[in-house]
Amino acid sequence: MTSPHLHINGIRKTFGDVVATDHVELEIGEGEFMTFLGPSGSGKSTTLYILAGFQDPTAGDIRLRGKSILQTPSHKRNIGMVFQRYTLFPHLSVGENVAFPLRVRRAPQAEIAAKVKRALSLVRLDGFEDRMPANMSGGQQQRVALARALVYDPPVLLMDEPLSALDKKLREEIQYEIRRIHQQTGVTILYVTHDQEEALRLSDRIAVFNRGRIEQVGTGPELYASPATHFVADFIGDSAFLTGELAEVKDGRATLRFTDGTVLADVPMHGVGAQGGKAELMLRPERIDLSDTVGPPGASLPVTVEDVTFLGNNSAVTARTGWGEPLYIRLNFGHPMMASVSRGDKLHVRWQPQDAHVFTKE
Amino acid sequence: MLSFLTPARRGSGLGMAMPALLLLLAFFVIPVAGLLSRSVTEPVTGLQNYETLLGSATYLRIFFNTFLVSGLVTLITALIAFPVAWALAIMPSRVAAVVFAIILLSMWTNLLARTYAWMVLLQQTGLVNRILMAIGIIDQPIQLTNNLIGVTIGMVYIMLPFMILPLYGVIKKIDPAILQAAALCGATKGQALRRVLLPLATPGIASGALMVFVMSLGYFVTPSLLGGTANMMLAELIVQQVQSLLNWGMGGAAAFILLVVTLALYALQLRLFEGKAR
Amino acid sequence: MLMNFDKLGAWRWILSGICALMALFLLLPILFIVALSFGNSRWLIFPPPGWTLKWYGELFADPRWLQAAFTSAKIAVIVMVLSVAIGLMASLALVRGRFRGREVLRGFFLTPMVLPVVIIAVALYAAFLRLGLNGTLVGFVIAHLIVALPFSIITISGALETFDPSIEDAAILCGASPWEARFRVTLPAISHGLFSAAIFSFLISWDEVVLAIFMASPTLQTLPVKVWTTLRQDLTPVIAAASTLLVLLTVVLMIAAALIRKGKSR
Repeated sequence: MTSPHLHINGIRKTFGDVVATDHVELEIGEGEFMTFLGPSGSGKSTTLYILAGFQDPTAGDIRLRGKSILQTPSHKRNIGMVFQRYTLFPHLSVGENVAFPLRVRRAPQAEIAAKVKRALSLVRLDGFEDRMPANMSGGQQQRVALARALVYDPPVLLMDEPLSALDKKLREEIQYEIRRIHQQTGVTILYVTHDQEEALRLSDRIAVFNRGRIEQVGTGPELYASPATHFVADFIGDSAFLTGELAEVKDGRATLRFTDGTVLADVPMHGVGAQGGKAELMLRPERIDLSDTVGPPGASLPVTVEDVTFLGNNSAVTARTGWGEPLYIRLNFGHPMMASVSRGDKLHVRWQPQDAHVFTKE
Repeated sequence: MLSFLTPARRGSGLGMAMPALLLLLAFFVIPVAGLLSRSVTEPVTGLQNYETLLGSATYLRIFFNTFLVSGLVTLITALIAFPVAWALAIMPSRVAAVVFAIILLSMWTNLLARTYAWMVLLQQTGLVNRILMAIGIIDQPIQLTNNLIGVTIGMVYIMLPFMILPLYGVIKKIDPAILQAAALCGATKGQALRRVLLPLATPGIASGALMVFVMSLGYFVTPSLLGGTANMMLAELIVQQVQSLLNWGMGGAAAFILLVVTLALYALQLRLFEGKAR
Repeated sequence: MLMNFDKLGAWRWILSGICALMALFLLLPILFIVALSFGNSRWLIFPPPGWTLKWYGELFADPRWLQAAFTSAKIAVIVMVLSVAIGLMASLALVRGRFRGREVLRGFFLTPMVLPVVIIAVALYAAFLRLGLNGTLVGFVIAHLIVALPFSIITISGALETFDPSIEDAAILCGASPWEARFRVTLPAISHGLFSAAIFSFLISWDEVVLAIFMASPTLQTLPVKVWTTLRQDLTPVIAAASTLLVLLTVVLMIAAALIRKGKSR
């Protein structure tokens, strides 16, 4: 078996008593766009800083093309990085900023000129060589930073929330640019963000971080369709959770009993749970159907409609289960129930068996 | 935000502070401490120097002069600086830039050159006396140098920038919308000035006033050239005791009193204004 | 409406008037000396009955003036270099350092600025009497450095504080060694602060009167000391000529400082 392009091997980092990351284990292929997604303080940035060499891990190893890089100082790692804050050198022109990595590598003048031109062209800033950073917008500055990080063809490009200082419209524009540049150059990218939409838009795979650990790694559709934990289900897409008791556990499938006696049988289950333990049923509002007839056992529940809000291309329905928990349902425009559903209706929610997940609760 | 400046990579940085630290210890802390200690050891150990300083009319007169002139200078500069700083804050910026250039020019012009100008302007046959006589305010030239009038005029001239600049900073930060709101609430210009603008500018006035007062207390050059020996101030007393009389005990005691008053007023300033900023 | 110049009505003229009077009050004495330095009245009559360059002639004919100016310049340049170098190191420690008592140290570094110069002068004079440094170049440099350093530290640490250390990290990831990053990125980026500190330090040393009076000896004195001793004797127009040259230097340095600021905001 060939070794992966980049192997983050069991990284653990503690600051005094605080554990910033724990057992972070990840293999990243060459040319892959991998995103670290998670809330602030989840350890995604710490992992990135360890890769950059700004911090040393307490335990674990980082291997690039099979070789550990932990003993290599930051400036010799040859890694590219775009920072959250604007980090263009304020006293140098755009051209000189992009040339900087080549100059410190003592590259010949002709090569520098050619590579700078190519890098600026890649980020669509042709002819900006003589501009000073202070006279550029935030979006332009980050594109120059991207050119500067790519000009020396690094084996890995780190991006630490590079768009968080920009407004939404500009962010989407540059996300598109980053995707195009990734496809064009084939560079391996590690991207840190707390924005799930950004992660889904950009990445080949996403590693979801929570409390210093990776909860799940997968493509966007994988994470959406089969979240491994409550946290992942909650972080990616919308979700509703119904709390009940495990009546039976068998072969990764569970039977749930709710407080009013309602029973749902044969739901796919994640995590370890014993009979009698607490568990949650997770449903996606857009994957639930509303109907006046009861569905197949294990994939249907009776509810009472409490509120209906028209939102344009869909309607948000708030319903309540027999035991009093709220459940949100999204009906697309044109759904047969859309016109008729109203407050107080006693109806049934139905779903496809593979859309329901049970997570055990500690 | 995590800082990348981990101790392991950049060092704690204390070493970089060493040259400055050693320089100040050797040539600032130790000499000043030495001077102050001589106030209680020379000519004999005891507090007699302080008793002399605070017990004789001659020396109390010097303290009185010092506080009187500093107080007057502070009051006059504050009265001039408030309208000037206010005007600067709202003027078209091109005009304000010219005024600022003048303020900075005067601030950075050699102190002796400025004092010299006032010595010439204020002398018996000087321009000020001649103008006052020409417009009929006085019949005879009046004595304007070698007394506290001259010192006060010269000091106001020197201290004005130190009052205007901080006050300008405070007034410039006031949101014009607050005063528009005051006007819409029905306040006349006078009421808005008294009840809104002045209270908002007070921290700046107080901070500038404390600074000017403290600087005036320890000023030497201008009082010495414009005041003459008959109207001595505290800094002149220190120099006189040390340089002419070689009385290091008395000089040290006077320096200690000046130091304590200065530091106490600075502490007050920090207490008043740092606390508010927080 | 008090913060809107156009809506002030009559107050606008009162405020402008006070402002103009104040500007004249600050400016006229300086122009007055310049005029006197070219006037031919030994008794400083104004307006002068005629114009002459004779005071400048006297100034340049007297080797003691030239000697004093040369000494002043020599001391000011040495103080400038040392003040920027030591100030830069101290600022790096204050802004980037990670040790306890950093704020206390900052306060301590600024105390020479707060204390009356006369106290520092008398104290140093006493210490230098023992060390034999009075009347020496070293003594002058040390004394001037003590009062110039706080300004240097304020200016340089101000520039360093607005410089995001992430930029240095970016340089390191680009392949620059930590020292290379400092010299090729951090120092050039705060160069406006270094230049301002240099100009401030030079001017403080060049203009220092009180310390210089105490440090001076009959054989070694700076320009302000020469002006001071001359002034105590009589109000000769030669001082007006010397003062005019000092004003000219101030204007040149102020324009230089303004250009640096402008260059920074470019």
